[in-house]
Amino acid sequence: MLGHRRIFILPTQRGLAFVLLIVLLLLVGFVYSNNLAYLLGFLLASIFFVAILHSFKALAGLSVRAGRQPAVFAGQAGAFNFQIGNPGRQGRYAVQLALQSEMAISLAPAETRIATLYQATERRGWLQPRTLTVSSLYPLGLFRAWAPLRFDSPLLVYPKPAKRQLPFPESGDGQLSEGLSRRQGDEFYGLRPYQRGDAIRQIHWKTFAKGQGVFSKQYAGAGSSELWLDYQQAPGHNSEERLSQLCRWVVDAEKAGLRYGLLLPNLRLPPDTGTTHYRQCLQALALF
Amino acid sequence: MNALPSSRLLWFMSGSIGLIALPHAWHVPPLLIGFFGLMWLWRLLAIARPAWLPNRWGLFALTLAGIGLAFSQHRGVFGRDAGTGLFVVALGLKLLEIRGKRDVYVIVYLAFVVAATQFLYEESILMALYILLVCTVLLATLVTQNSVSPQTVPALKTAATLIVQALPIAMVLFVLFPRLEAPRWSWLDADNQAKSGLSDTLEPGSIAELSLSAELVFRVKFDGDLPPPAQRYWRGPVYSLFDGSAWKAAPALFRAANPDQPAFGGRAYDYTLMMEPQKQNWVFALELPSAFPAGLRRNELYQLTTNKNPGDRAEYRISSTPAYNTGGISPAERRENLQLPGKPSERIRNLIAQLRGTEASPEVLIANLLQHFHRENFRYTLNPEPMPERQVETFLFERRAGFCSHYATAFVYLLRAAEIPARVVGGYQGGRFNTVGGFLEVRQADAHAWAEVWLDGKGWVRFDPTAAIAPERIEQSVNVDLQIASGAANFSPIQLDAKTLTWLQRGRQLWQNVDYQWQRWVINYDTDNQKALLQSLGIDDFVKLGYWLLLSVGGLSGLLAWRLLRPNRRRRDPVLLTYRQFCDKLRKAGVDFGPGDGPQTLAQRAKTVRPDLADAIDRIAAVFIRLRYEPGAETGDLRTLKTLVRGLRV
Repeated sequence: MLGHRRIFILPTQRGLAFVLLIVLLLLVGFVYSNNLAYLLGFLLASIFFVAILHSFKALAGLSVRAGRQPAVFAGQAGAFNFQIGNPGRQGRYAVQLALQSEMAISLAPAETRIATLYQATERRGWLQPRTLTVSSLYPLGLFRAWAPLRFDSPLLVYPKPAKRQLPFPESGDGQLSEGLSRRQGDEFYGLRPYQRGDAIRQIHWKTFAKGQGVFSKQYAGAGSSELWLDYQQAPGHNSEERLSQLCRWVVDAEKAGLRYGLLLPNLRLPPDTGTTHYRQCLQALALF
Repeated sequence: MNALPSSRLLWFMSGSIGLIALPHAWHVPPLLIGFFGLMWLWRLLAIARPAWLPNRWGLFALTLAGIGLAFSQHRGVFGRDAGTGLFVVALGLKLLEIRGKRDVYVIVYLAFVVAATQFLYEESILMALYILLVCTVLLATLVTQNSVSPQTVPALKTAATLIVQALPIAMVLFVLFPRLEAPRWSWLDADNQAKSGLSDTLEPGSIAELSLSAELVFRVKFDGDLPPPAQRYWRGPVYSLFDGSAWKAAPALFRAANPDQPAFGGRAYDYTLMMEPQKQNWVFALELPSAFPAGLRRNELYQLTTNKNPGDRAEYRISSTPAYNTGGISPAERRENLQLPGKPSERIRNLIAQLRGTEASPEVLIANLLQHFHRENFRYTLNPEPMPERQVETFLFERRAGFCSHYATAFVYLLRAAEIPARVVGGYQGGRFNTVGGFLEVRQADAHAWAEVWLDGKGWVRFDPTAAIAPERIEQSVNVDLQIASGAANFSPIQLDAKTLTWLQRGRQLWQNVDYQWQRWVINYDTDNQKALLQSLGIDDFVKLGYWLLLSVGGLSGLLAWRLLRPNRRRRDPVLLTYRQFCDKLRKAGVDFGPGDGPQTLAQRAKTVRPDLADAIDRIAAVFIRLRYEPGAETGDLRTLKTLVRGLRV
């Protein structure tokens, strides 16, 4: 909730030019002893004054909350979600949000919106958003009201996947997948209801098109190949390069629909497949 | 940020700029306003086809042309007309060069200046309202510029709200802000508009011309009751030199000094006289002014003159006493007022002899002369046939039809021929009473000429020969509208009873009253008025004034801030409030959920995290869903929800 403690207001360059305009009008009034020119000058001066209140009002009462921040790979732009709420009965016609990227939104009374702002990611790990600046030039652009907001709402940055596509390492139980059996087993044995995490490729579009619901195709042999991605086996001069390579493998293996496990010096994630497992692996790599 | 303005913004802006410039069409030279109109049309066309806008070089050439035009019309940049012309041209040129946000602001600011220059030409209340309206559109342009997805009506509404909220503070500033008397610069007075009115020459047709003009000359508000109609003579220039057809005022240099100060007796009338802009520095006071403010002077002819610029409206507090005696006459003055353009003819001398009879007293001659006008077949008309030669004789013996100046001329001529000092006095007679505002309005159509005769022991005495022919001219006032419409003399009874007025007349009087108050309190508010007002409030120095300014502006803005910024007092839904408490408790318990999660999802998650609370969570969710989404929830449910949430221990 934005209140008077957090909102700052200063005149803009145009606001200062407006003051010059007022002085000019008063001068016209003075030189020609013209009361209406005076009156116009006074009116603009009062508008200048009232505009301060309106600038404050343009932001006051807005609620800004950090939303759920989706994880990204290092190097991608980190997308921070903020939930901007306008609880009052008054519309907000120009709210400018700036993190590293900027965007302008308008909010109807009682409207709540999710604004996504981007910030560059460089290193893996948790990334806190920079200061979010909520500002507004509304209504006349003579004043800029702004509120710098800090949020404790970190975003998880996975390691940057290595560029080179290396073959998967040989795993301990001798089952090697050299990119040949990347597809899941060939034998189709049935359908099961779609679950989160099933690959889009697996969706049985025919039943979906018939309107019978979403099903995933199941193949025999799925899960038959198990893969261990081992930190020790990953090539690289330092830990970052190794993590980068492991990350690449995890991504490839998940794409290929393999069952894979992750072996880190301090962590062992048994082979599995699916989004949850995938995320667990990447998080482990990010926070290693 | 510096994106090109949207077409909605351009429409808005072009519209308001057109409105701003429109009233200038009456006084900015046609070439300049034409140039502006061309630029404006170009801008309008270019909203649809931006490619038609001139490039940099085209714009440069246009700028040169515009500046050249402005200079050719005014030969300079100073002064009201030249400055206004230049601003109008600049506004037109700037319209074609809009590259970004900054240019929009430059244009809007220029437009405000052009709006202010409008007031140098016209200060009526209607013009003020018009400019206020246009200012709203200009502000709406700025609002549009600063909105993400601009809409026309909300932008106008916001602008209007800003103006309405700013007006009280503006008025306080208007009243309290110290008004300084500006020095008069000669180059500013250069372009004073010519006004019609009485001049120091009284030609045969000059008053007849004025009689068709409804232009306001001055307004008078009496402190008590009004003088009777027959005493409402507003003294103007005094004419004593006659050349056979026209009268001239005696040049001030050679004017004979009067030996005595006038003696006043009887009741005096106190009034406020508000003069409209005039050509001459004459102030038309009720005969004869006995007390007047320091800026005024009563000359040897008992006429008031001001030392201020007659082109400005001015207000004076004057006392007049209808009963007066101007005392003696100097030999020079007597000579001056016996002057004739040649020897009177035989017929004239015969007429005088006939009127004078056996008695030699001037009073008898005057009474007989007025009787003569009344008895013989003399007519009062606004448009007598022209009398190019020997005006007085043609009028007296042949036409016998004329206007007030003809009668005054003949009257004075005859008395002078009879060796009685006499002169013609110009001014206004009568006036229309505004029942709403309680003031008298005197218009050009009320212009009048009468005579003044010097009588031994009485001084200069007013005689109005017109009253002998057309007493209704004096007793009733001129019906300006009918007179203008018909071109003939028309009089209407003075209506003091508001009930007998038609609604149209009442409406007009109301409007004239509004206009009068506007002139009096807004247009005419100056250093003196301000001083008087501030003193009545007990403000006598700048420090006190500063406190007052701070206090009133601060108080008003405090009030406004309270109105604007107080939190919304909308009652929150108690169900939602309780539910929010529940959410807070769960969050504390470590349940992770987003703002988009519904109560069921929330309950599912919460149960996995805190299976020990599953029962309570389920019940809360169920009650909440019933309260929120199902019709016919009972009031007891809310109590249950509250108790349950309160009882939840995490």
